[in-house]
Amino acid sequence: MISVSPKILLEPQVKLDLNNLAPEQVALEIKNLNLYYGDKQALQNISMSIPKGQVTAFIGPSGCGKSTLLRCINRMNDLIDTCKIEGEINLHGENIYGKHVDVAALRRQVGMVFQRPNPFPKTIYENVVYGLRIMGENNRRVLDEAAEKSLRNAALWNEVKDRLHDSALGLSGGQQQRLVIARAIAIKPEVLLLDEPTSALDPISTLTIEELINDLKKQFTVVIVTHNMQQAARVSDQTAFMYMGDLIEYSDTNTLFTTPGKKQTEDYITGRYG
Amino acid sequence: MNSWFKSGSPWVWLSAGGVSLSLISVLGLLWLIASRGLSYFWPADIYQFELLDEKGKATTVIGEIYDRERIPTKQLSHLNLGFDPAQESIERLLVKTGNRELVSLDFRWLLMPQVTKMTKPAELVVIERRTNGNFYGYVESIVLDGQSLGLEKMTELVERVEDFQSEIDELQKADIGAINYQIERLRLKKRKHKLDDTLTAERENDIDQQVATLQAEYLVLEKQLMIIRDQVSRDKLVVRAMGGEILQINFENILNVTYNNKLSVFGKISVFMTQIGHFLIDDPREANTEGGVFPAIFGTVLMVLLMTVIVSPMGVVAAIYLHEYAGKNAFTKLLRIAVINLAGVPSIVYGVFGLGFFVYMVGGSLDQLFYAETLPSPTFGTPGVMWSAITLAILTLPVVIVSTEEGLSRIPLAMRHGSLALGATKAETLWRIILPIASPAIMTGIILAIARAAGEVAPLMLVGVVKMAPNLPLDGNFPFLHLDRKFMHLGFHIYDVGFQSPNVEAARPLVYATAFLLVTIIVSLNMTAVSIRNRLREKYRMLEH
Repeated sequence: MISVSPKILLEPQVKLDLNNLAPEQVALEIKNLNLYYGDKQALQNISMSIPKGQVTAFIGPSGCGKSTLLRCINRMNDLIDTCKIEGEINLHGENIYGKHVDVAALRRQVGMVFQRPNPFPKTIYENVVYGLRIMGENNRRVLDEAAEKSLRNAALWNEVKDRLHDSALGLSGGQQQRLVIARAIAIKPEVLLLDEPTSALDPISTLTIEELINDLKKQFTVVIVTHNMQQAARVSDQTAFMYMGDLIEYSDTNTLFTTPGKKQTEDYITGRYG
Repeated sequence: MNSWFKSGSPWVWLSAGGVSLSLISVLGLLWLIASRGLSYFWPADIYQFELLDEKGKATTVIGEIYDRERIPTKQLSHLNLGFDPAQESIERLLVKTGNRELVSLDFRWLLMPQVTKMTKPAELVVIERRTNGNFYGYVESIVLDGQSLGLEKMTELVERVEDFQSEIDELQKADIGAINYQIERLRLKKRKHKLDDTLTAERENDIDQQVATLQAEYLVLEKQLMIIRDQVSRDKLVVRAMGGEILQINFENILNVTYNNKLSVFGKISVFMTQIGHFLIDDPREANTEGGVFPAIFGTVLMVLLMTVIVSPMGVVAAIYLHEYAGKNAFTKLLRIAVINLAGVPSIVYGVFGLGFFVYMVGGSLDQLFYAETLPSPTFGTPGVMWSAITLAILTLPVVIVSTEEGLSRIPLAMRHGSLALGATKAETLWRIILPIASPAIMTGIILAIARAAGEVAPLMLVGVVKMAPNLPLDGNFPFLHLDRKFMHLGFHIYDVGFQSPNVEAARPLVYATAFLLVTIIVSLNMTAVSIRNRLREKYRMLEH
């Protein structure tokens, strides 16, 4: 069916039972999540557990709600006036939709990278340390160290180390996307949400980002939305297939792509629709 | 033909025509005021006219040619001047003859047929004076300490007087002005203590003593002033006017003496430049019809800067509220429409509002609360530069609000989301990301506000502008910036010189020169703002996707 990259196959696969994860293995727990845009229901009763330190991919046809679900995790949907959410998402056993949650603090724990690279019109350096400055960090040495570390982690350091104080807008699209990732990991989130991070990039940049994702999971829990099934197969440990606001199937990537449990999943990954 | 219409070319031609028409009118306007205004400073040739009138009486007229025109002979027929009726029109010259102490009018029309001879004697001189305007005529001799001298000493003596005059100015304005200011403050301090019932004998003594010291200083300065004045009035210039009258002009009254007819082109250029310099840095004289316009330049620029400082934060804050925080409902829409419509209110209405609300209500209350000791003479309860700046800030507020909002709405959502996703609050996002990116749009609003405010005169006449302000709003006396003072303004100066002056003909070139200066100042203020905006644009240029 789908050719899975040999690199992933060679890695020792620790099979997780996604329905019975031990509490310390869980990064996020989504429970009975319903989401409405006005009268229209966009997510229907979604329940799933996202394991720690792994890459989880959401796939599905356009409009299936995968991005919407992703944006629920750091409450970016709050910015849409008509959006109404029921259910829970638990981070450390605490509902992020609870009454006394500090949304800004939540977003520091759950970072996000968007579809199109969106660097601020500032220098490369200022982009990376932006989150730290927001947190009140002004010590030059701390900022310098964090900037270097994040840029190294985002595999961008060697390309930009000589022009840290040039405008970030002078970077190429792929570099900008890695800069945005560096910016997101500079504040050391626990979970990193990637919303189709390579859809605006060329194949080579895409490859670089995919390798980067593989490295990132050593430190962060990564949740990625992609409409590219090969990509999901290449980078993720778990894959969730969504369709029309429903979570159809959620299992480890190898199983989902080789022996899908549901007819709809099989139809989608074999390209019969979507 | 039909296909020509369809191709869209007529519209291209039409719009190009519209653009060129606007450009031509703007350039034409600039050319007119520049040429008329700048020619005022050019040292014109001085002519001597020999006239023979219809009764056979011969007269001599000396002066500069100001204007020339042709009039129909019929128009003059009732005067029986004996012109040939076959001739359709006659040329006449307007000549500036100066010498206001001899003739009541310093302008005179000459009919060309009556002029028998027109010469440019090199010895003719124009003397610019502090009072009575220009003198045209011949220099006879110089009288120094009662002794007659040759003419070679002229420049030296004029410069000597100039030095003394600036010394006098310095003494009067800076030193004596400061002492008077301090005495007045001490008087007010005493009065305040009296009003508050805190005037102890000790305090009273102290204040009286300080006043006495200041008065002693004043006497010393006054003596100095007297000595310089004596020095200045030492020398006299003996001159002969066109009618042959011999006059004495004190050197203290002379600003400069120029032999216009002797000057080479370079000499004329140098005089031209000096005259422009004097126009820019001198105070006005003779009811504003002569001298410079420095206080008006200063007042205009200061008022515009104050207005900018007031309007920018107010407009930006209002726009942020309307765009970011106000609910997206009918009330907000109504508010926005109201703001836009405010820009259409006639400016004089703002003037009336400023006078009624700011000057009388706010200013009056401020006086009662903080300046009770000066009452009944008002401090802030009277028109002044601060009220003018605030009134114009209100007038230009809609412009800043509208363009800031425009800028805010153009910022891509991705910028906000990027910042929010990093754990920034809405306010932090606004402050660190949105406002910097919107700053070029904010600057556009400020540029428009400056352009509007710098040219506005009508409301200022009600809230702070005067024909002649004795002191600048900024000087060396604490607290240096005197926001309660009245000020002069170039726009009002144009109106005053052009229409309220006792000598309209003499003031006309000054009107053009001042108008040209006002345009130059507004353009340069705008250019400064535009260059700031361009730098911001470059800095926060968004990536074009």
